[in-house]
Amino acid sequence: MGIRVVIFAVSLLPLGLESRPISYSGGSTLMLFSDDIKNSLYYHYSPTHQYSVGIEAVEDKYQREKYAYLRFTYLLNRKNSQHSQRNLYFQTGLSPNRDANLFYGIHGDWETRRWFAGFNVKKIETKASMYVDQCYQIGLAPYLGEYGAIHSWLMVKTRKFSYEEGWSTYPVLKFFKGDTLVEFGYDKHNHWNAHLMYRF
Amino acid sequence: MIRIIVILLFSMTNVWADGKEQKNEMPHTGHSFDTLVDGEKLEVDPDRLGAFLQGLSDSQIAVISVQGMVCDFCARGIEKMFKLDPKVKKIDIDLSKGKVLVAYSDEDSIDFNDIKQKILSNGQNATHLKILRI
Repeated sequence: MGIRVVIFAVSLLPLGLESRPISYSGGSTLMLFSDDIKNSLYYHYSPTHQYSVGIEAVEDKYQREKYAYLRFTYLLNRKNSQHSQRNLYFQTGLSPNRDANLFYGIHGDWETRRWFAGFNVKKIETKASMYVDQCYQIGLAPYLGEYGAIHSWLMVKTRKFSYEEGWSTYPVLKFFKGDTLVEFGYDKHNHWNAHLMYRF
Repeated sequence: MIRIIVILLFSMTNVWADGKEQKNEMPHTGHSFDTLVDGEKLEVDPDRLGAFLQGLSDSQIAVISVQGMVCDFCARGIEKMFKLDPKVKKIDIDLSKGKVLVAYSDEDSIDFNDIKQKILSNGQNATHLKILRI
């Protein structure tokens, strides 16, 4: 696979591993993502804490086109304990203005105040190809901030597309305060990327 | 002298009991809030609780134990849910202890099932409730 195909495939994808893909009942979340390949604006609404529906508008910088995904996320399982939370989600998205562009998969995470581990396995079907995107992420909070403080996470993400040989592993920094979250990552394909999330 | 002190202490205080829903009188202001009169730990950050009580009077404080409240970003929904309730005067989150503090007026009734539902609407579980009166 050449770099053109890789770039094209990556440009089709929604974000690899989102924090909190479902909000509280009646809550909404707005996400902005930008890297060398695409800009994305994703809004989702959660009628209950068990699922969210949303729309993602994508500006594909490489293909120079714009399209949208209709997205649905469902909480399959959640385990709350005194010091941790574990989640398992089903995610799917369909692009109505692109022929047979569909993705579906499983997203899971486990989190304490200090540690985070998550994964996302997703199958993407387009008119031209079908492949699997795997993403795994671990994180450490270097300090435990109180409610209302600035919180920071140091993370490592590794990702593989089924049509490629190796894994792409790269660092991610995440910060949040109040209802705002920002995340910065760097990988060899897309270089710097930025992710802004606001929950309201 | 010791007997007098003991009698005075018992006359000034109420005993805190175990249970999923409890009502107690708070020690008067100026005292430490982390340990109750019978030695039971309240398990709330005393500084945080002290700051929360500032400006409150004739109120009830619901101290809610919550499971799964591991990050600030996800706890925001709890604050938003309670702020929709006109009976709620003030709310704070103690992440380190896994507690939600909610102030209600003295006249209002506090329904633990309603609290559980609010917490569940954000995806966490409320397990215990203690009610303090100030």
